[in-house]
Amino acid sequence: MSSRDATIIGYLIVAAAAISLQVIAVRQPRRLPSLGQVLSHVMQSRTGRVGVVVAWAWIGLHFFAR
Amino acid sequence: MAKSVPVNLSVEGSFCVVTDAGEAAENPSVAQASSGSPSLGRAAAAGLRQPIVAILLLIALFTTVSGKPLDGFLMLAVATLLIFDAARSRRQVSLTGSGGGTSVAASADNHRPSPRRLLVRGAWLAAAALYCAVVGSFRRYSWPATASVVALGCLMIAIGWQGPLARRHLGDKPLRRAWLWAVVLVSGGLLELGSLLQQPHLTTDSYAHPTISALTDPVLASFPGRSAVLGGWLLTGWYLVSR
Repeated sequence: MSSRDATIIGYLIVAAAAISLQVIAVRQPRRLPSLGQVLSHVMQSRTGRVGVVVAWAWIGLHFFAR
Repeated sequence: MAKSVPVNLSVEGSFCVVTDAGEAAENPSVAQASSGSPSLGRAAAAGLRQPIVAILLLIALFTTVSGKPLDGFLMLAVATLLIFDAARSRRQVSLTGSGGGTSVAASADNHRPSPRRLLVRGAWLAAAALYCAVVGSFRRYSWPATASVVALGCLMIAIGWQGPLARRHLGDKPLRRAWLWAVVLVSGGLLELGSLLQQPHLTTDSYAHPTISALTDPVLASFPGRSAVLGGWLLTGWYLVSR
């Protein structure tokens, strides 16, 4: 297995973990908060809300802006 | 010439002497004692200690170093605004006893479905689709693409700054096992950072250690791919400012 394969598998594991957590949270809401609930919690303060929106804006800048 | 000014320390009920009015501005402890509120410097330092501000400053540093000064500048600008906002709120709390930070917006009317509201929603969706089609037609990293994404990003940050678009009752209960999400996000970030640092140069992609943006290059090379990704980005942004 090459370094490239290992890196890609690493990303896939992280993505699979995120999807699994979300599925568990939706099916068993008492066990785990969903990503939406976590974001809502973080975004209760202005700093948290702006921080999350800035992170979103940064993704767009990163992929499209020079 | 220094001027002596008697200052009443209301807490202790005694007096001390400030040798110059300017000292109050330079010495936070003196300023705090004299005004009964934290000095601007101390309040700003409290803003600087907020984790999100620290993260934004780190992103600003890394993006600037990796050849994206515009990203870095925007992150730095928002971090600075947040520091000032935190300082202002902190001073306001100590002066009035009430917080002035977060504005809670939007009445329950926002949730009431009406034909007019549906029409407005449809118009927004049409505008979003037009945005994706037009901006998706621009080459990546071109000035038109940059201007379009920066303008929308700034607009959404301004909307986010005002407060949530709809009132929500979240309760005060802490979220159980939310740390699992933090573990996943931090793991992804570390993996991306590891790949970035193993590149031959911060601005040159590595085949052996690709970053997420290097892996998405083939998708973003085409007009439909760019438009689809922009659509997902827009929807996510709208979801976030609605929280």
